[in-house]
Amino acid sequence: MSTIVIGLSLSFLLFLLAAGLTLIFGMLGVINFAHGALYMLGAYVCYQIVHWTGSFWIGLAFAPIVVAALGAAMEVTTLRPVYSRDHIYQLLLTFGFILVIEESVRLIWGLDYKQVPTPALFSQPIAMLGSQIPSYRLFIIGFGALVSALLFLLLDRSRLGMVIRAASSDSEMAQTLGINVSRVRTAVFALGSGLAALGGVVAAPLVPIELGMGFSVIIDCFVVVIIGGLGNIKGAILAALLLGMARAAGFTYAPEWVELITFVLLIVTLMTRPSGLFSRKGRSA
Amino acid sequence: MSALALQDCDVYYGKAQALHHVSIDVAAGEVVSLIGRNGAGKSTLLKAAIGLNAVHSGRRLMGDRDTTALKPYELGRLGLAFVPENRRIFPNLTVEENLKIATVMGRKGPWSLERIYQLFPRLLERATQGGDTLSGGEQQMLAVGRGLLTNPEVLLLDEPTEGLAPLIVEQLIEAIRTINAEGVAIVLVEQNLKVPLKLARRQFVIDNGRVVWSGTSAELQADRARIESLISV
Repeated sequence: MSTIVIGLSLSFLLFLLAAGLTLIFGMLGVINFAHGALYMLGAYVCYQIVHWTGSFWIGLAFAPIVVAALGAAMEVTTLRPVYSRDHIYQLLLTFGFILVIEESVRLIWGLDYKQVPTPALFSQPIAMLGSQIPSYRLFIIGFGALVSALLFLLLDRSRLGMVIRAASSDSEMAQTLGINVSRVRTAVFALGSGLAALGGVVAAPLVPIELGMGFSVIIDCFVVVIIGGLGNIKGAILAALLLGMARAAGFTYAPEWVELITFVLLIVTLMTRPSGLFSRKGRSA
Repeated sequence: MSALALQDCDVYYGKAQALHHVSIDVAAGEVVSLIGRNGAGKSTLLKAAIGLNAVHSGRRLMGDRDTTALKPYELGRLGLAFVPENRRIFPNLTVEENLKIATVMGRKGPWSLERIYQLFPRLLERATQGGDTLSGGEQQMLAVGRGLLTNPEVLLLDEPTEGLAPLIVEQLIEAIRTINAEGVAIVLVEQNLKVPLKLARRQFVIDNGRVVWSGTSAELQADRARIESLISV
């Protein structure tokens, strides 16, 4: 039981991150290397808000907004001028974001580990089917499912979602229909940054907050995005579930094999269905 | 006054000049066509009209307004609609979403979703299907319907009849007549004279990135042998 809970909570955490990454790729054509740094920044901003206000919930509400606003500013001032250039410039630029964000975090918060306490509401474990389940993990599952559902509703049913989908598939055509695609790009980058930060906030009570925290998680996140198919958000949630559950099962039954499981999944996907395990097109090469 | 005029336009692809001192114009409610062989520069010209190709020198006028420097989305909002070659339906949107997306900017006018479905009942039958599931003819109807829902002054149609069965071509020609009868000006691009002579009052013949002939349909008929040699492969 606890394996399932840990697996599901990990899955939703991965999905929050992967959703942002894959949305940004789908819309902007940019692989955002700084996604992990934004995740880390989300956790630090949450720490700061908790430090000031004492409330995790205020951090949960506002840290993603702060980071989304920063993401929007980054997109407008630095990415927007380089879309017309070769992809390598955008990659280098997002790599540059990592350095700038990490240095800024080091200057502001220093090098020592920070902690955000588990919110009181979810600090007690709950007995379920004979095992003790950390209730904060259950909160992550519920909250992650809610955010995922809202995200799918936004993309599938709302006007903004329709505009994002259209502009992602053919930005020139969308422009001729009167859509200001530059603004859509900014909105998507902000949304993706906010989702990364949300992941960081949700993870904050579980892990020590430190400069390297984005690094380990971003690798898994890239794996999820690739398994799901680049730019394919529905694939991303299935891939997040697959990877999250596989890793949780690995931790329980074969801890020394966990990293291997991740990369075996990745390699099998790349060898058999390089456009994503859950893409409709199947093998594209 | 012209609803849309390109005056003395040069357009480049990289360093290669694709259009040389091209001038075309369409009056409000008029149908004109751009005729020329494959690669003559017709699509390049249409993309320059909607702002997807930069106009290097020359001017774009809409009414008495100089719109040379405007971006495609601004031109769309001012009443230009683009129905491209290959239709460019959004494959990840449903048929109805492909139409609704044109109303997002909220330009007012006589065209509504209901009227597009009236014009092309086939689209209503397919409303909830994915945009990538349509036949060629249905895709063309959808592309025209999408353009119309922006409530344009001028509709730019790039080879709307290409690759379609004769019966569908007839339906489409009827639809274009209906659209024009509502006062929408149309710039029609075609490779042959058949459809242009049915719909347009004035013709521009394009070759090697230049307007090599222009005149009314009657003038074209009088000079037909020479015009056909200009556009034949």
